[in-house]
Formats: sequence, C-alpha cells, structure tokens
Amino acid sequence: MMTAEKPRFDPVRALEERTAAVDAQVLSAWQRSLATAMPAGGALLAVGGYGRRQLFPYSDVDLLLLFASDKAALAHKEEIATFLQQLWDAGLRVSQSVRTPAECAELHDGNVELSVSLLDQRYLAGYASVYGVLLEKLPRFVHGQRDALVRHLSHMTRERHARFNGTFHHLEPNIKEAPGGLRDLQLVSWLAQIAGTTPRAFSQPVHVPELDDARRFLFAIRGYLHEQARRDSNVLTFDAQEWVAEQMALEEAAVMRDYFRSARAVHRSAMGVLESEEARASSLFAQFRDRRSRVSNADFSVARERVYFRLPQQLEAEPELLLRLMQFVARHGIRLSLEAEKRITPQLAAVRAYFASSRAVWPALNEALAMPHAALALRVAHESGALGALFPELEAIDCLVIRDFFHRYTVDEHTFVAIQTLADLRHQKSAPASSFAGLLAEIENPGVLMFALLFHDVGKGNPERGHVDASLHLAEKAMERIQMPAQERETVRFLIRHHLEISATMNGRDPFDPATARHLAGIAGTVENLQRLTLVTYADISAVNPTVMTPWRAEQLWQLYLLTYNELTRELETERIEEAGSPEESAFLEGIPKRYLRTHTEADIALHMKLDHESRAQGVAVNLEKLNSVYRLTLVTRDRPFLFATIAGTLSSFGMNILKAEAFANRRGTVLDTFSFADPLRTLELNPTEADRLRATLERAVMGRADVKQLLRSRPRISPPSRKARIEPTVHFDDHASQSATLIQVVAEDRPGLLYDIASTISSRGASIDVVLIDTEAHKAIDVFYVTTDRRKLEAGEREALQQALLTTLRG
Amino acid sequence: MKKIEAIIQPFKLEPVKEALKNIGIDGMTITEVRGHGRQKGHKEVYRGQEYNVDLLPKIKLELVVTDARLNEVVKTLTDAARTGKIGDGKVFVYDVAEAIRIRNDDRGEAAL
Repeated sequence: MMTAEKPRFDPVRALEERTAAVDAQVLSAWQRSLATAMPAGGALLAVGGYGRRQLFPYSDVDLLLLFASDKAALAHKEEIATFLQQLWDAGLRVSQSVRTPAECAELHDGNVELSVSLLDQRYLAGYASVYGVLLEKLPRFVHGQRDALVRHLSHMTRERHARFNGTFHHLEPNIKEAPGGLRDLQLVSWLAQIAGTTPRAFSQPVHVPELDDARRFLFAIRGYLHEQARRDSNVLTFDAQEWVAEQMALEEAAVMRDYFRSARAVHRSAMGVLESEEARASSLFAQFRDRRSRVSNADFSVARERVYFRLPQQLEAEPELLLRLMQFVARHGIRLSLEAEKRITPQLAAVRAYFASSRAVWPALNEALAMPHAALALRVAHESGALGALFPELEAIDCLVIRDFFHRYTVDEHTFVAIQTLADLRHQKSAPASSFAGLLAEIENPGVLMFALLFHDVGKGNPERGHVDASLHLAEKAMERIQMPAQERETVRFLIRHHLEISATMNGRDPFDPATARHLAGIAGTVENLQRLTLVTYADISAVNPTVMTPWRAEQLWQLYLLTYNELTRELETERIEEAGSPEESAFLEGIPKRYLRTHTEADIALHMKLDHESRAQGVAVNLEKLNSVYRLTLVTRDRPFLFATIAGTLSSFGMNILKAEAFANRRGTVLDTFSFADPLRTLELNPTEADRLRATLERAVMGRADVKQLLRSRPRISPPSRKARIEPTVHFDDHASQSATLIQVVAEDRPGLLYDIASTISSRGASIDVVLIDTEAHKAIDVFYVTTDRRKLEAGEREALQQALLTTLRG
Repeated sequence: MKKIEAIIQPFKLEPVKEALKNIGIDGMTITEVRGHGRQKGHKEVYRGQEYNVDLLPKIKLELVVTDARLNEVVKTLTDAARTGKIGDGKVFVYDVAEAIRIRNDDRGEAAL
C-alpha cells in the first residue's frame, strides 16, 4: 500500500483529456491538408503513447501515415509536409512515419520499435479500406512473429536495464527508462497483447489491475516532471523531487518511498511476465526447465524456472510452509512464480498472526540462511511480503530513503545487497575479496551473520532512538519470538552493536598506532568475533554503493583485521588472569590467559571447575559431548610432557578428525585441553559404547597406562579427499609476539594424526607447549603454539633445529 | 597561483578537510592512492603466511590556491595531518600557469 496521498488530480484522466485535445488539433490539420488533397488510399493512425491515449505534456505525438502503396505516398509528399508543418506550428512535437500495410507487417531487426508501436495503434482519420488491410495483416503478423517479437522485446529490455545496473534503486531515477519505470509498465501490457493475439483477432491493450496504483503514481510524477521542465524530461532529480513533493503536498522521503514501491511492483511484474514468455519462446530454455523440474519435492514444483505450490491451499492450514519455501529457494536458487506470489498475498495476515506468537522458527530459518542462495531466499520472501509477515520489524525500512551523499539504495535494498555481498564472497577467488572469502569459510554458523545483517539497520526506521539502539531493540524482539538460542543471540547483539566500529576506526584512527589494534581487540574479544565483525563490515561498506568497496578500501580493512588478529593472538600469552572471585575460582583460573574468560560461558567455566575438582582426586577428568555435527572433548589434568600430543594421538587412533583445539595452563600447573572433532566414520554414533571406550582410553593414555604409538598403529585409515594442489607446509617462528614464549605458526595440509605428529615433535625437542590454538580451513590446518624451554623463549639454535624437525615431520 | 598536492594518512582526511573548510577552502580533488616514502613497508604474519605490506593506502589531496593564501593553507593542512610519526605524508607545491572555469570561461584567480 502507498503511504502517500493520492495525487490531487487524476493523471489517467488528465492524459486522456490531453489526448482528446491533441486529436482535435490533428484532425483539424488533416481536414485542412491531406483529407481534401488525397482522393483515396491513405489513413492516419496514432501510435505509441498517443495511440494508447497516454499523451504526456511535451511528449512526442507519434503518427503513422498509412498509404496503400509507396507510389501513393510519394504523390502526396507536399501535402504531408504541409500537414506536419501545421502541427509543428500548433506547438506539437510530431514524430511521424510513412508506411504501407505490407511494410507494417514485416519484422525489421533494425526497427522493431515500429512493430511494437503498432501494438498501440489507433485509427484517427482517412480511408477505412487501407486501415482495413492493416487490420487484416496485423493479427497474422503478431501471431506469426510472436516468438521473434518476444525475443526482441526481451533483448531491448535487458539492454535498457543494463544501462541502469539492473536496479530500480537509484536516488535520482529515470522514471521512464529505468527498471520498474513506465517502459516496464508498458512491457507488461505489450507481452499480454502479443500472447492474446490470434491469427484473426488483434488483442486490444491489456489492463493489469494490480499495477493500477503504480501506474497512477508514475503517470502523476511524469506529468509533473514534464510540466516543470517544459519538455520530455524523465529524470527525478533531487531538485525535481522537491518540486514534485510540493505539488503532491508530501514529504520528499514519502514521494520517493512511494516511487520505489511502485517501481518494485512494476519491475517484479514485468520480469515475471518477461521471463515466463522468454522461457516459452526458447526451446533451449525449455530443456533446462525440464531438467530443473526434477528438483521438485512434496511441497513445491518447479516449472519454467519458477517455483509453484503443489497444494496452494496448504499455506492456509500450515503457515510454516513459508519457511520450507525459503529453504527451497535458498537451496536451489529458483525464484517464485507469479502464481505462487499471488497465493501468498491473501494469506499474509494469517501468516503474520501465526508467527506473532513465540515459535521455534530459528532452526528452519538458520538452515535456509546457511544455504548457497540464502540472499535470494530473503529477497524473494521480502518481495512477496512473507518476510514482513515473519518479521514485522523489517517493515519500518521498506523502501526507506535516507538521503546522503554516499548511499545509493533504500535501507531495505542496502540490507539485501549486504547479504548478497556476503553470500557472493563464497565464489570470490581473487584478491582482495578472496581474503575475506577465507574468513567466511571459517565461520561456523554463517546464518547468524546473515540474520545480524538483516537487522543491522532496521532501526533506521526509528530515528529518534538512534539507529543502533533501535536496531538492537527490534532484533531482540524478533530473536525472542523465533526462539533463537542464547549464544547466537549474543553474537547477533554483538554484531549489531558494533557494526560501525571498524568503519569508524578505518576512517578515524591510525592503524599503526598499537592503541588502535588494542581498541578493536578489546571490542572483539575473540578471533571468532573479530572475523564475524570484519565480514559484516565488508558487506555493510560494499552495500553503500557499488563503487565504495575499492581494492584500496578492502586493503585498509584487511590490514586492520591483520593488526587486530595479531594483537588478539599475541595477548593470549601475555595477559593472564591475576585475580578471580572465590578461592575455588582463584585456584582454577589464576594464570590462565584472559582470552579464556571471553571465549567461555559461565556454564563452561562451571563444568571446567567441576572437572578440575574431579581430576585432583582421579588424576584426570574427561567430558565428552556432542554439539550439532561435531564432538567436544574437555580434559583436565596436571601438566606433563607429551600431554597434548597424547590426547591428539588418542583421538586420531579412534579415526577422529580434529577441527579445533585449545590448551590452557593455570598457575598451579593444571592443564585444560579442549578438542572439537568430527567423527567421519560415525564410530561414536553407530556404537554408543565406543564413547565410553574413548573416554577410558584417553584416561589411560594421559596417565601413562596406554601407549599412543601402539594405539596409532591400529587406527582406521581414512582416504584423504582428492585435491588438485597440495598445501606446502610452512613453519613460522615469532619471538616478539610474547614476552615469555616463542610463538610457532604451522600451516600444513590436514591429515589424520597431524596434530599428534606436530605436538610430539615439539615435545620430543624438550619444549613445553603453554598455549595452543588449532584451526582448520577446508584441508588446511592452521596451528599456533606458544612454547618455552625451561620457562624461557627458544634460543636461535633451538628454533632452527625445531623448524627443521617440524618440516621433516610435515613433509612426511 | 599554486597547486598543492598532499599525500596524507587516510584517517587524517576528515580532520584535514574540516581544517581547510574552517579557513574557507572547500574545493579539492581527493584520490585513493597507495605508496610509501621513508616509512617503507612492513611484514605482517597471518597464520603462517607473510604478507608484504609494502604499498600502504594513502590519500592524495590536490587543490589550487592564490599565491597570497599559500602559506596559510599549507600550514593548516600540515598541522591537521600531522601525528609526528613516520608515514604522516608529504606536501608538494607547484606553480600554476593558468586556471580556466569551463562553465563561463573565467580565467586566473577568478576561476578558483
């Protein structure tokens, strides 16, 4: 629905009145010149906008002078000139063509506009017999050339859209030519006319009632623009917006909001009809269509590259079908059919009421958001109104215009472009975008990032509160309603609260001042949060306008990420917990790096303290739990040589694939090791007793009662996935990262037992592993160890020997 | 007339623009550039890989002023861009033979 009042005058009627007035002028000139001079054989037709009775002030008056033959036309050359001169003298801008009925019924590649303009032809004067010949030929021609006309119209439309970057979101739009403009409105009518024409009957202009509001609004705007400029000017410039708003007694923002809503409705409709006609006209496309129809399932079918509901009435009974629809679109990247959209519209009130209650929507939504076409699914849901019904909070930014120098898009479009940017990162192979693509690959739950982006600017619809606070408030309500788990909510809150922080730092602080990295590290707290915030910043900046994320700016962002990342990992070793609350807490926490407090919940810490308590009695305490698709092992014991290698080796001996690991030691020499691992052979899932055996084996190995080397000899073999290029191992030493330890970064191709091999190589050289951070990125293992020998950094000779030993191990 | 070309740190762009605006200088051309002077580059290590950051992001400002205002503008600019550390940038001053406003063909200082 439009927010604006209806224009003060009826633009459609005004255009008809103007057309009638011009008709009178044209007929009068015709009577004075051609009618009397021409004994037979000629007729006068209005074509184009004039033919449709949609003649805007200062627009061209398109005329077709139809002659039985070229000879007849040539014989009246002078009278034609006099006729046209009279019209020009009367102040009309005439655009004329002179043709025979046979010429009108031919398709010329170079002048398809003529064929298209004939769809709007209207008889004005002259000999009915000549016009009769055209009326006989035209339906046959349009029907016979249907596919060719569709192809030409499609080509012209796509070329025209490309001139405007394919989007209707321009702050100073051309309301005629841009996507969603009057030309697209006409396209809907033309395609329907072409489809409806039979060999015997020519279809009259088709009225599309759903676009009535948009038509009236666009007509009114164009009328005002032409009046103001006193010429055929169709660009709604900032100045023109001011003037049009004044004429309509509205705020400029309201005019533009209505413009974007109209353009969106027209664009959707035009593209829907065009694509369906293109699909019909192209046999190649039809083959593809058939192939795609195989992805149909129990809920949805796919035909002509569009999604349909199998049982349209099902949505009424089961509003959650919309979530499955989003998943289907997100999985296959196929848009909705117009019919499916029409089925959704009447159900929106019921859907909104259903999702207004607290329901467990998050699992299904999160699944959709993690799929390859999540951005399309959100956009499709937005365009059909389903997203607004699911999250009424988003309606505040629907077509919302914030006028500033940099933003090109409305707030909702900015949001969807940001989400699309993030989704597209997955395919970026070249620098600098590939660096950010690497970060995205490491994010465990990208759906949370997508959700945060969806809500990051939603508060812009509520300017009094401050946009970040308002966004947080609205996101909170939505997260509560969809029953998002606490940890994900905290991540969303963090991302919305700080989404401007890195941009502000890039623009306002010296990146090489150590305080800058410390500042950002303090905000991010963990490498994971820094990665998420960097990605949100990348997407948010990229969605301001298409030119703002230059390689220069991407480099600035990446550099800031690197500096902050290094600050965060460096701080691991140097900043340790000095004081904790209760004596029990102090006993466990003192001496552990501060990072631990930021990366673990209170429940985690309580579990670790419980394990600490148990380990004091038993020597070792082990906890094993399943989290979604991975397992997490937590082990507490006294530090001893080869401890980390022993645990890694035991896990490998069971065929487990270690994804992440951390090792922390407290001041008393108690070690807390956490391993996240995948179970590629599904050993634990299929054999429940294996979990107990794994726990028992770990306890025995840690206590020195089982030999890891022996265990590893019998480990299950997993064939490594095939890959084109091997990752050359690197071992990098950094003596400046920490005051008391040497940092070793190892990057190598991941393989079963890798961590055991690295850790045992370090331990076998007499070095002690103080802190460990293990990560994997696809088949690349990225391991960071803080090591000491006799509580001091490694000396040059020791570093060199260890590097050689590690490289030998890694090259296997 | 003199042309001032200044290479400054990106984060100093806003303070410099603001300072110039305060003395009535609004017109300038701004370009995103990369480079280094004595600051050279440096190495960053990220996950075992060394990144050579040898060309650092900088901002180039270009503006033309009357001879009479040169010293004032250069001082304002350098004061606003200075942190006192390596990498603050450079200012170059050139003679300008002629300035022409395309719209109305104004010449010389009238075109500034």
